Amino acid sequence: MLFPTVDFAVFFLVVFTGSWLLRPHKIAWRWFILASSFVFYGWWDWNYLVLLSLSIGINWFLGLAIFRSLTPKGERTNASRWLVRIAVVVNLGILGYFKYFDFFVSTIADKMRSIGISVDAPILNIILPIGISFFIFQAISYVIDIGRGQWRKPLTILDFAVYLSFFAHLVAGPIVRASEFAPQLDVLPDPRYVRSAEAFMLIFRGMFKKVVISSFLAIQIVDPVFANPNAYGPLAVLLAIYAYAIQIYADFSGYTDIAIGVALLLGIRFPQNFDSPYIALSLQDFWSRWHMTLSRWLRDYLYIPLGGNRGSKAMTYRNLFLVMIIGGLWHGANWTFVVWGAIHGSYLVAERIVKEKWKGHELGLPPLVVKAMQWFLVFNVVCLAWVFFRATSVDEAFTLLGRLFASSGSSTGVSLLLILVIVGSVASQFVPQRFPQKAEVWFATWAPALQIAALAGGLVLVDALGPEGIAPFIYFQF
Amino acid sequence: MPAGLIIVVMVLALCVAGLFDADSTLRKSNAKGDGWRNEIAKTVASVTDTLHINFLRNSIDSALGKNQGTKIDVEELLRRQAEAEIAASAEAAKKAPELPAPTPATPMKIWVGGDSITQTFGVSFQRITQSTGIFTPTLDYHVSTGLSRPDYYNWPEHLVKDVLPANPSILVIMFGANDGQNMIGANGKVLERTSEPWMTEYRRRVAATMDLLKSPDNQRITIWCGPPPMGPGTKTRGMDQMSYIYWSEAQSRPWIQYFDTWPFFSDSNFVFAASLPNADGVVRGMRQKDNIHFSTVGGDRLSWAVIDRIGKLVDLSAGKVTPPAGQAPPASLVERTEIPPSMPGAE
Repeated sequence: MLFPTVDFAVFFLVVFTGSWLLRPHKIAWRWFILASSFVFYGWWDWNYLVLLSLSIGINWFLGLAIFRSLTPKGERTNASRWLVRIAVVVNLGILGYFKYFDFFVSTIADKMRSIGISVDAPILNIILPIGISFFIFQAISYVIDIGRGQWRKPLTILDFAVYLSFFAHLVAGPIVRASEFAPQLDVLPDPRYVRSAEAFMLIFRGMFKKVVISSFLAIQIVDPVFANPNAYGPLAVLLAIYAYAIQIYADFSGYTDIAIGVALLLGIRFPQNFDSPYIALSLQDFWSRWHMTLSRWLRDYLYIPLGGNRGSKAMTYRNLFLVMIIGGLWHGANWTFVVWGAIHGSYLVAERIVKEKWKGHELGLPPLVVKAMQWFLVFNVVCLAWVFFRATSVDEAFTLLGRLFASSGSSTGVSLLLILVIVGSVASQFVPQRFPQKAEVWFATWAPALQIAALAGGLVLVDALGPEGIAPFIYFQF
Repeated sequence: MPAGLIIVVMVLALCVAGLFDADSTLRKSNAKGDGWRNEIAKTVASVTDTLHINFLRNSIDSALGKNQGTKIDVEELLRRQAEAEIAASAEAAKKAPELPAPTPATPMKIWVGGDSITQTFGVSFQRITQSTGIFTPTLDYHVSTGLSRPDYYNWPEHLVKDVLPANPSILVIMFGANDGQNMIGANGKVLERTSEPWMTEYRRRVAATMDLLKSPDNQRITIWCGPPPMGPGTKTRGMDQMSYIYWSEAQSRPWIQYFDTWPFFSDSNFVFAASLPNADGVVRGMRQKDNIHFSTVGGDRLSWAVIDRIGKLVDLSAGKVTPPAGQAPPASLVERTEIPPSMPGAE
């Protein structure tokens, strides 16, 4: 079930009403939310529910076993360490089978073919269950937190099922931790004070980004140019690259905005996932603003266990690079994602080296000019990496980049409107947070009739400006 | 705001938006064939039509140039075309067109068009045909289109009004990927996709469109490309049944040459294959990540296969039509002589 559809609107009206009516009854409410989440997920394919249920059962059981194997003070034991390892391996095994098996097999087969050994690769054409990377990562965070003694209260199986399957974050995040979600299950929010203005603004903003901005850029320039870069000239290719940077932001942050808004209407607050990433002045800054819950996950469950920055400089650089490569592979089984991660990893390392070497040095330029240069560099590195993220193969990405230097080619799709949308979208990120917050406060003062008119008008506008039919969110495939 | 009031606000806002958007919702619902939901959409659209509430949304659509056409009037187009036909064409049309050989001095006009699948293929085709030196290509694709939804994009009308007046000698056309959706039949009834009545109506539209493409002087060939197999995870339906319709309708029309893309993008069992070897033996990715659209490599492969097919109908010896081995399909790959009504394992 996609968020910007009539199906979801009807589904959510039922869930919203049921949720607030049942909220005083803790157990009934949990069952209701669990059932709703299963309906939401099963809407794509009921078979997926088997995997989700298995994941819930296995991780809850392992979480409990890990908790029981800790000392009474919550200290780790050999048994708890082994159980955590088993839990991680089981989760990564599930993810690996669904996400990487075909990639692994075809890569091996290609290598063997290249040395003259012909093999019939057992490609299974496995269909990736929607959102698997997200709920598996949440499950891993749960068992590791328990194993570290950080989460001292294993959830009941019902609470854990609600946590892992909660429909608002199930298919594309944010990656919420049990320590953020579970306490909210026990708190009874006051139904007289629901943060509706903030939620409505988030939902509308998300729909506009997804349905209007993302779809327009995809149809107008991104899809045609990435599909056949050889036909296009430098201007079209350059704009397609910038447009994709906006498209993926609008698509993913649009989804997150809707997810956060929907959860907020049910009295549950999710962590922030985006914070104007394209205003970043360094790549480190970018990663503190882009897909923040994934960055946080990678930092806490990968970078720090690898040693973080506790060892030598060389080890820190290695860890940074490895985390970005693995972060790339998390997105999908393709060498394009490895290259994407490698670009980010290399630049993060380079950034650290340059910062250390230039410590105390001044360029002699006005601070604003330095900032502008930093912004320009970071934005373009991010856009360069997106080329590999979007391309079907590394070869195609290089072909596209090569077209930036072509002497001819079509500029079909290039228009003033396109340039305005790209520039406007980037510029909108520089708008201080206080302005949308003020708008929310203002909207909250409106009479209900006015709010109804505004919301209805907004929905009509989004539907009219969007294309016929809604493409799935980009991050559903991860 | 209290939760109770939020419910009222949400319900009323959705209802108001639903009323204003009734026509748009009905169009989408018709396409998907939503059963009882379609009945609701019809009722709501009928109410808004009576009360003229749809005026605002339709004005916005009109200003944006969206959803202008509502009816497919192929018969009217055919009638007009028949009036324009020269008398001598009737006998000539029974024979396959014989086109003069193109040369660099007298290049042949070639048009390639269709839905979004034609986008990648068409761009490759345009580039490759241009490089032969004997074609003047035109690319004309429209995403999310086909023959099912003339209200969204009216291909027959576009072909007659915009494409044929330019008088291309060869048309290369591909539809199907977006056509596996419900249609509104001639009597206004929703036809369930791939049902028997749907097939009959679709066949009628295909036949009529093919007839539109006949040139009065029998100097035009249309290469009608069947859709390729779609990969796992895609929601496209009835591709092989549609291929069968295209193929069977082409049999009685000498000016239509059906081109069977299926074997060029499947394994030896005619099952979808994302990666395949080209003539140089190197395995390459033929499709984009969505398992529907072609990659550049796939577009090149199909382009050379289609040029090879054109070469069997027209003398192309004056052009550079020998494909690089890294772009063309292996020579052993051939089209099927007969398209089955349904492939094994198809829905």
